[in-house]
Amino acid sequence: MKAIVKRHVWCAIAFLALGAPALWAGSDQPDTGVLLQQLDQMTNFSGDFTAEYTEISQHPGQQPAAYRHNVYRRDRDGAMTIIMLSPDSQRGQGYLEVDNNFWFYDPESRLFSHASLKQSWQNTEAMSSDFFRTTWAKDYAVESWSEGTLGVYPVHILNVKGTNDQVTFPFKKIWVRKDIGLLLKAEDYSLSRRLMRTVYYPQYLQVGDHYVANHMLIIDNLNVGSKTELTIANVSTAPLPDYTFTKAFLQQVNR
Amino acid sequence: MRYIILAFRNLGRQKRRSFLLGGAIAFGILVVTFVNGFAGGLAGNLEQNFSQLLGGEIFIQGVEKTASGRRVELISDDQALGSAIADSRIPVRFVTKSSTFVGTFFFHTNSAVQAVVGVDFSESSPLRNRLSLAQGSFDGMADPAGIIIGQQTAQRLKAQAGDTVLVQLRTITGQMNIAEFHVAAVRHDPGLSVSFAAYANRAYVNAQENLPADAYQQLGILLRNPGETDAAAAELSRALSRRVTLLPPLPKATGGNMMGSMLRQHNENPMGAMMADLMKQAGEGSYRGTRYRLSTIDDILGRLQLPQVIGAINGISFVILIVLFLIIVVGVINTFRIVLNERTREIGTMRALGMQRGGVRNLFLLEALLLFLAGAVTGLAGAGLLMTLLSLASFDPSTPAFMMLRGGHPSFIVSPAQIVMPLIVVGIITMFGAWLPARRAAALKPVDALTAVH
Repeated sequence: MKAIVKRHVWCAIAFLALGAPALWAGSDQPDTGVLLQQLDQMTNFSGDFTAEYTEISQHPGQQPAAYRHNVYRRDRDGAMTIIMLSPDSQRGQGYLEVDNNFWFYDPESRLFSHASLKQSWQNTEAMSSDFFRTTWAKDYAVESWSEGTLGVYPVHILNVKGTNDQVTFPFKKIWVRKDIGLLLKAEDYSLSRRLMRTVYYPQYLQVGDHYVANHMLIIDNLNVGSKTELTIANVSTAPLPDYTFTKAFLQQVNR
Repeated sequence: MRYIILAFRNLGRQKRRSFLLGGAIAFGILVVTFVNGFAGGLAGNLEQNFSQLLGGEIFIQGVEKTASGRRVELISDDQALGSAIADSRIPVRFVTKSSTFVGTFFFHTNSAVQAVVGVDFSESSPLRNRLSLAQGSFDGMADPAGIIIGQQTAQRLKAQAGDTVLVQLRTITGQMNIAEFHVAAVRHDPGLSVSFAAYANRAYVNAQENLPADAYQQLGILLRNPGETDAAAAELSRALSRRVTLLPPLPKATGGNMMGSMLRQHNENPMGAMMADLMKQAGEGSYRGTRYRLSTIDDILGRLQLPQVIGAINGISFVILIVLFLIIVVGVINTFRIVLNERTREIGTMRALGMQRGGVRNLFLLEALLLFLAGAVTGLAGAGLLMTLLSLASFDPSTPAFMMLRGGHPSFIVSPAQIVMPLIVVGIITMFGAWLPARRAAALKPVDALTAVH
């Protein structure tokens, strides 16, 4: 009898040591750190990137406002240039992110001034940083995760927290497609963990090995009824001259 | 004495003319004294009201460099400041420690932008006296999340005392945060078409800005005698320089927008603009710890271009003064020329009876002096009466010009020099105006004067 009990105990130990991890693996536990790295790899370009962005912003009681601008990115250097195309009143205005400084150029005064990537973009729900390369792996760590579906897609739902006190949104909840690791939805939370905005990424355009969300819907959860729809066109990965990421380029565009 | 009686009699003979000329002198003195009093009162009241609102006549702000090399507006250790204030022996009435952010308020579907100043709402806080409440009471500030908002903001939000509002703000390192505040009261706005600031408890504001609980961003010092601000600031600056890195004084703002647009431009809070300057001043260089800057209420008023406003009023006063002086001098010269023509034969008779040339001249000058004295006394009395009556008028705290008033009443401040100088100038030009006809009168030959036909 004693020998039987002893055998059962050994079986139990063997099951726990060998069987449980196998079952755990069967539940498809993701390496959350890798998931965040994947998000960056999927959307950040190794070469140059150019696209035309259009935002249509709606606020309660106001006529929709449209903004159009070109974005030039060199993700490996953390450089970005934005040239406003419309409305006419802002045509020619430029922004330059270089050496961790974000500059605004006003062609009327011909002056550069400091701006911030963390600022809202024009009068929309987008932020300047929404056009820039992503830094998920560097700036966020996963607090918890779960599985679910969003529309027809099985997703990992990750609750992430800023790894430093510089990130605009200290907490985020993101829905990442299980199959190809693309971001489908993000909820941005304040330091007090209040939902501030929700971003949907319903469409992606594949450009080589990378993807660009060519349609985004940003909903302001504080200012109820305010939303911005963002579409991207004329995507190109053709190499850009270094000159594109200089102040002189912003000045020259307006001559 | 004889000449004085004669002069009085002569002035009395042409009552209407004397009244008009004396009235012109009185009016000139009245207008100049009144405008000077208005400008003086305006400057004094604006300075005092801004000092009360901002919690000091002297301010110390700090920029701290964190371990990560980021500069933040913060004073986390104020031991050195405390000992510098004690050593300087400046006459401190009250010290206010405050933290500030600019936030977007949300209430239902309405939103408004307003600066929020976090202070300590102790019973002894002068803030309780200087805020005029339209709704609610200070009792609500016992709630850590209590807030006193401005009337304009309340109107934009359609919120009132007792409501809960959400405020979107940035933490000290630029992170997004949403805070819930309970509206304890709605205050009257200080006028000048600006909402200026909402007031909340510092500990709660610090928590929202992700600041240490006992830290703050600005130290405001209210002095027992605000007239000693410059001397006290110099004394404190010396004491601070021995203990901490003190940045050069605030650069003077020049040209550009006027007061109202300045306030709106800086999110309706002049301290915001000052802080932006401080961040620039603190620089990117390699340093550790905190850099401080001392500024005074004059620096802030300078940023709001108040000296330019006062200067403009004084300029208008000067132009009025010149115009009135011209009117007076022309009026006096003409009047005494007419008098000379009318009295030529009388002068001839007096000269024939033995009056000397100097006597005739002095009689004319004496008449002018009496006119001036009567005009000056009347003008000063009229200005005093006008200013007294106007200062009795009471204005509602919601009036746009409330910041220019003292406790809701207009007030006028005229320095002795501002009274004496116009009197001397008007006196001199009156006597000069009379001197030319008087000299001609004195030069008349008795025979010619007696035979003159008019």
